[in-house]
Amino acid sequence: MTPRSSAHASVGSSEAVIRVENVSRWFGNVVSVSDVSFEIKPGITGLLGPNGAGKTTLLRMITGLAAVSDGRVTVFGETVRNNSSLYSRIGVMSEHETVYQFMKGRDFVKMMGQLRGVKDIDNAVDKAINLVDLSDAAYRPMGTYSRGMRQRMRLAATLVHEPDILLLDEPLNGADPRQREHFKNLLLSYAASGKTVVLSSHILEEVEQLADTVLLIVNGKLAASGDFHAIRAALNDRPYHVRVISDSPRDLASALVKLKSVDAVNVDPDGAIVVQSRNVRDLQIELPRLAKALAVRVRRVEPLDDSLESVFGYLVDR
Amino acid sequence: MWFIYKLTLRQLSGRWRLLITLLLTALPVVMGVIRSLVEDGPPDAEFQTGVVGMLVGVIMPLVVLAIASAAFTNEIEDRTLANLTLTPIPRWKIIVPKLLGAISVAAPMIATSALIAGYFIYEGDVKAILSTTVGAVVGVVLYSTVFTWAGIMTTRAIGFGLLYVFLWEVMLSGIVPGVRFLSLNHYSVSVMRAIDERRFTGEDMLSSGVAVGASFGVLVIFLLLSIRRLRRMDVP
Repeated sequence: MTPRSSAHASVGSSEAVIRVENVSRWFGNVVSVSDVSFEIKPGITGLLGPNGAGKTTLLRMITGLAAVSDGRVTVFGETVRNNSSLYSRIGVMSEHETVYQFMKGRDFVKMMGQLRGVKDIDNAVDKAINLVDLSDAAYRPMGTYSRGMRQRMRLAATLVHEPDILLLDEPLNGADPRQREHFKNLLLSYAASGKTVVLSSHILEEVEQLADTVLLIVNGKLAASGDFHAIRAALNDRPYHVRVISDSPRDLASALVKLKSVDAVNVDPDGAIVVQSRNVRDLQIELPRLAKALAVRVRRVEPLDDSLESVFGYLVDR
Repeated sequence: MWFIYKLTLRQLSGRWRLLITLLLTALPVVMGVIRSLVEDGPPDAEFQTGVVGMLVGVIMPLVVLAIASAAFTNEIEDRTLANLTLTPIPRWKIIVPKLLGAISVAAPMIATSALIAGYFIYEGDVKAILSTTVGAVVGVVLYSTVFTWAGIMTTRAIGFGLLYVFLWEVMLSGIVPGVRFLSLNHYSVSVMRAIDERRFTGEDMLSSGVAVGASFGVLVIFLLLSIRRLRRMDVP
């Protein structure tokens, strides 16, 4: 497996605030992260990869919550592990709902601010809660919140000390579309003020809307890194596999192979046609027309590799 | 540290945990009251030693185990410990208020039990009541330190604690003479004896100096072990 893009276009300069050097982490015989190196500088960086790829482990090592088995992680040039003073400059929001159900939202944000030594705590708390638009619910116990509200209050607690680096693990989980929009705008404006935001996600579109730079993690390795649009273009360029079930597969396959939108056609022993295409949009239009012209009845059309895992797999194997 | 202390008090004050521990601590009091109602004359030394022995040898460790082990295991299980470790405060400032929180919840219950039970079984003898109460509170501090450490070492701290109490403190320390030098129960009882020399006369006690020194050693060693563990562990 080799990284597809070697260009670390927007990372890897002297301005880097996070450096991950040859980092590995294994649990017994299981390798979770393997020899990963990258640098992150201010702006939004997306840590993208399928579930179980090692994103959370990597983030946990960057935050110092987990030890590295090998390699080195530095933040602002300092080792982050067992360096608690760094946490006055870092804000971390894990994917788990780490809240105290009995505590009122405002008290939670205030406690987190006080633990981080925030001066003028009441103003800072009000500002953070306003940012996430939860002033109305600030005096309610967090056990009464919806999942989205808890996420937002956790974000307020993460922002209360105005950290230089914001590390967010799957931050949009549980948020409704309106909250997502609010969340995105908030992160964009935060990054625009010169701060560093790192967010992990397994949802391509989520990262696309936010991140300038992407680190693509697959099977614990850095599969690709650099500008999001270059990676996205490579994704669009990949061939798709579509399975077609009809009552006359041989006739339909012979006709399909002549289409410009089709790269290859295979007929499975069970009679299903597997069409390989780089232009699925045209195929969607041409397939029904063709079937009608041939008087072939199409019973089922299904994409075989629409999952993010297959997209990543393509990039990694190429 | 104050915020973590307050948080710990709230976390350890769950209704069920308090109810069960209150019922346990009420047992010596109930025994003392029943004895005073059904029998005339002062309780004999065997009864006094039996009740105090039950309080400091079984009830106190179990109550402290239920409270102190939860100081960290609950936070590890619900993953809220990261809220504390991801702040610019040194690890000892997390451990110490957690331990103080556990002691603050357990000590009043045990001390109240020792005071009231002592009143009935010693018929108001102030020195005897005081020695029982102080010895019990020393025991609470020692067991809290050990079980707080156990809570941060393993999520099965309750199982570890039960094995420790029944195998080491109850069984082995009663059979193997040398074990008393490494028994929190013996340190606690030795403190009682140091305050009131009339108590536990038939037993082979540690000297007050050894008991105090060993207690201090346990406190420091397990505090340091807890701090070391929090520095080295992967926080969930």
